[in-house]
Amino acid sequence: MWNLLKDFWLLFGRLFPFPTKPGLRPVGNPGRSSPVLVTCNFELTVRKVVQTLTRDGIDAWLLVAPTKGINVWCAAGGGHFTTDTVVSALKTSGVENRVDHRELILPQLSATGVNVWALKKRTGWEPRFGPVDIKHLAAYLGGGESSVARAYRHVRFELPDRIVMGTNLGFSSLLFLALPLLVVSIWVRGLFWISVPLVFSLAMLNSVLVFWLPGKPGVQKGFSLGLMVSAAFVVVSQAIWGLGGWQTVGWTGWIVLVATYLGYDMPGWSPLWRADVKELALGVKRTRIAIVPQRCVGCGLCRIVCPANVFARDAETEKATVVNHDACQACGACLENCPAEAIETNFRSGHCSCPACAAIHAARSFGQPADGQKEPGTETATSSHCCDSKTCAAPDAATSTVKP
Amino acid sequence: MSTLVYMKMLERTPEKYDRGMRLLTLGRIDRIKREIASTWVGPGQDVLEIGCGTGTLAALMTARGARVVGIDISEAMLAIAGRNAPEAELIRMTASEIDALGEDRFDRIVATLSLGELSEDELDFVLRASSVLLKAGGKLVVADEAPAPTWGKRLFARLVRWPAAALTFVLTRNTTHALKRFEERLGRAGFRVVCRRDYLFGTLALFVMEKV
Ligand SMILES: C[S@@+](CC[C@H](N)C(=O)[O-])C[C@H]1O[C@@H](n2cnc3c(N)ncnc32)[C@H](O)[C@@H]1O
Ligand code: SF4
Ligand code: SF4
Repeated sequence: MWNLLKDFWLLFGRLFPFPTKPGLRPVGNPGRSSPVLVTCNFELTVRKVVQTLTRDGIDAWLLVAPTKGINVWCAAGGGHFTTDTVVSALKTSGVENRVDHRELILPQLSATGVNVWALKKRTGWEPRFGPVDIKHLAAYLGGGESSVARAYRHVRFELPDRIVMGTNLGFSSLLFLALPLLVVSIWVRGLFWISVPLVFSLAMLNSVLVFWLPGKPGVQKGFSLGLMVSAAFVVVSQAIWGLGGWQTVGWTGWIVLVATYLGYDMPGWSPLWRADVKELALGVKRTRIAIVPQRCVGCGLCRIVCPANVFARDAETEKATVVNHDACQACGACLENCPAEAIETNFRSGHCSCPACAAIHAARSFGQPADGQKEPGTETATSSHCCDSKTCAAPDAATSTVKP
Repeated sequence: MSTLVYMKMLERTPEKYDRGMRLLTLGRIDRIKREIASTWVGPGQDVLEIGCGTGTLAALMTARGARVVGIDISEAMLAIAGRNAPEAELIRMTASEIDALGEDRFDRIVATLSLGELSEDELDFVLRASSVLLKAGGKLVVADEAPAPTWGKRLFARLVRWPAAALTFVLTRNTTHALKRFEERLGRAGFRVVCRRDYLFGTLALFVMEKV
């Protein structure tokens, strides 16, 4: 019952942190050689991790790190799931007395905040990044990195996630729009009561249909959706309701406007695109990423941590190469973990693709032209992490799939 | 658009931080810091400050002639502390690493509004480590949000604190967290409270402890 209520809240309120008690938890019946897994202290994540491990019959020590109740990816991007966080959890949880080994499995998406080389140096533990989704952990434990299909290292945006993010997009948009809509309703009768379900359903459609809508993510896809929905509206309003000409024009315009706006807002809620104002408004890719072959030592870590499959291994030189340039979402995981500073970008550090983080970055680079060194499209990171906010919780679809 | 609205909502900076703490404690924190520096810290003493933030207390203590080591997890905070308290030695580390600072090294360990940010495991660890770091007769001085001693006061305190906390969060994106079962933890870590002073209906407290 309580869990049901929590799930209902999370359907709308993913944006808010939801902490559970940090610390070491046994899952199943772990012993001195059982694996040690790290995760965040976002309630939903911990619950799903425990459920999945139990289902798969894995006995493990689960180290719930104090990440302010924020999901793995956002906490890592927001400076709440960092090397420091893991160092502290290892030292204070008592895990060192519970196991004989020093192998640690981190959630892949914590790579934006956790540097495994520094972690190893500071603690003596041997950290590795497990798969994105906890459901692939059993395979990973069985066969190590080679058993994790490349596909398991990609973040996806599958239908259940798109539905959840659609509800979140609709809900949060209504938070902002409710008051202005109510005011305008004084003059335009019925606007509020029609717009509330309209905003919500267009948010759902934008999210659920995002892969099928024509155009680039952002304004273009939203506009396509607006055209389709308003076409359907014109047919129905003429054939069935017999709506007047001006009214039809007015509502059609409103539908296109709302759909376009929500289309613009949607990618920020997805785990695939970042909420870059220009990228979403103009449909141009602004992120640049390149490998400096002279520096690359071929460790392969960038391929492991990248959630967007940007890198491949050059068969001849064994160094990393960029094969999927435009998929990069500037999460910064590769930058954080490359031991050789062999990756060059036009963004400085990691941030998750959530609206808050992206907007903070955008505003910083608009607001501080005096900082120098800024060419168009260069991010200005003033700290090594994006938002330092307690509220930056889980606006990415990844939350429901992203466990360690 | 939700992006831009959230931006303002979420931005947190060290500059805002000081304002936030002053507002949330209705100015009491400044008074408490002055009292710590003048009453509980003396010239020539070795002091460790945990979570020194922007260095306001560190500056008061170095002005008193104490030798101050300040640690904080945040690079941005320490950059400002460097300006406010140039004489303090500042180290970037998490509180759970203070055990690396040695043994029997400090006369005082002080922490204002920073232990409340720690998880329960971390708090226990830091208290145990502090006991090792303190010289014999040394004192641990902590000012933080604490649960009020009686439930009547707690209720009253809630009524006062919630609006203040909400306002502070809206204005500065900062808040504090109460120390959980602090006196019990102190006992386990081998400390004894020699002085407790309450502020704001017992929601903000200054604890001075000695090793038993
Ligand atoms: C609420 S501020 C208090 C700052 C200062 N002591 C004061 O009273 O103005 C908390 C400080 O603790 C630091 N802090 C939080 N968690 C920490 C940790 N685990 N280790 C060290 N410092 C930490 C923060 O960076 C911040 O500067
Ligand atoms: S290439 Fe881009 S998406 Fe991949 S890890 Fe690096 S920053 Fe993240
Ligand atoms: S680019 Fe860096 S992380 Fe990637 S293989 Fe080369 S050295 Fe390793």
